[in-house]
Amino acid sequence: MATREDLENWIAKLPLGSRDAFDSLYSAVSAKLFGVILRVLNDRAEAEDVLQEVFVKIWHNAARYQSNGLSPMTWLITIARNAAIDRLRKRQRAEKQSVGEPEETLADTALGPEALTLRASSREQLIACMGELDEKRAQAVRRAYLQGDSYADLAAHFDVPLNTMKTWLRRSLLALRECLTR
Amino acid sequence: MSEAADHKDDRAQAGEYVLGLLAPEEARAFERRLASEPELASLVALWQEELALLADEVEPVAPARHLKRAIDERVFGPSEQPSRPFGWLRLTLGATALAVASLVAALFLVSEPSPDYRAQIVAEDASLIVAAAYFEGTGYLELQRKAGRAGDGRSLELWLIEGGNAPVSLGVMPETEHSILKLDAAMRARLKGAVLAVSDEPEGGSPTGAPTGAVLAVGKISGV
Repeated sequence: MATREDLENWIAKLPLGSRDAFDSLYSAVSAKLFGVILRVLNDRAEAEDVLQEVFVKIWHNAARYQSNGLSPMTWLITIARNAAIDRLRKRQRAEKQSVGEPEETLADTALGPEALTLRASSREQLIACMGELDEKRAQAVRRAYLQGDSYADLAAHFDVPLNTMKTWLRRSLLALRECLTR
Repeated sequence: MSEAADHKDDRAQAGEYVLGLLAPEEARAFERRLASEPELASLVALWQEELALLADEVEPVAPARHLKRAIDERVFGPSEQPSRPFGWLRLTLGATALAVASLVAALFLVSEPSPDYRAQIVAEDASLIVAAAYFEGTGYLELQRKAGRAGDGRSLELWLIEGGNAPVSLGVMPETEHSILKLDAAMRARLKGAVLAVSDEPEGGSPTGAPTGAVLAVGKISGV
């Protein structure tokens, strides 16, 4: 199991063109990232395509990672998740055949060079705080993150009007933030 | 709205942004604020870090082996052959013998799409030269740094300038000689007839969203 330092070292070597570092990083995290992408897309062929894109992005964006304060795993997972969700939205648009809608894309990388100036909570804190939310509301946050559900998807899933869904989710996020900062 | 309510809104909206729940125009507006509001960026980073913990519950799935080969080809070029990331460039260099040039041309016609736009971004004293090629089909802007580099602890940042408009950042140039930036849809539509410029910036890029250091090199984008 690669440590945070291993991951940081490998990522730091990518902008220098290190193929060894790229191979090591791939061995260490490709299965996790593929799992994350597959959870969003639920389609192996599409997920394979996105995994390729993700590693090309990691290679080209590594110089921007440097020390932006995010943990390397968060940075990697965010790139994978955002790429998977972009693909999901494209597929959904194609299914609706709604040509001409503005193309909605999530950021390629986790963040710019801004530092993470606040202390992030631990996994235990997150689990505890998610546990304080009403079960459905916690599920909505989880579905949005892990499956890339949009507000429309969530409203349909929980069978509530769109605006109710938005209010729910915003309140859940605020409650979560209050709890996590406690 | 009171300041406290604004603050609460930002916390929820940063979460919505990270989850990908904002409508496209809301997300773009939010990103514009992000560039100039470090506190907002910090809230986003916090949500990214904490929500990423949800991925702990996702089981790893080993990808098929052939994928790594495909990725390597995309990153490093075809294996066991001299890498040819910029086949089209060689056509423009003109220094190689005609026979070699036509061989490269033949290879290129078979295996590589031709760019839709190009630019040579050149410093006045030629101390920095970057060749750029844009491929409409993929939205990729390929960059080949042929001379010069960022100073120690500095970064080169690429800008798009349309007429008299303020420069818009296309991103920090990776340190590798050959690199690819993916342009978002809004940028793609603005390339024609615009100018690309490279500026000298603090490591990681301009902190303000506008060039802060010297503009080192410029080049006009032309159709191919």
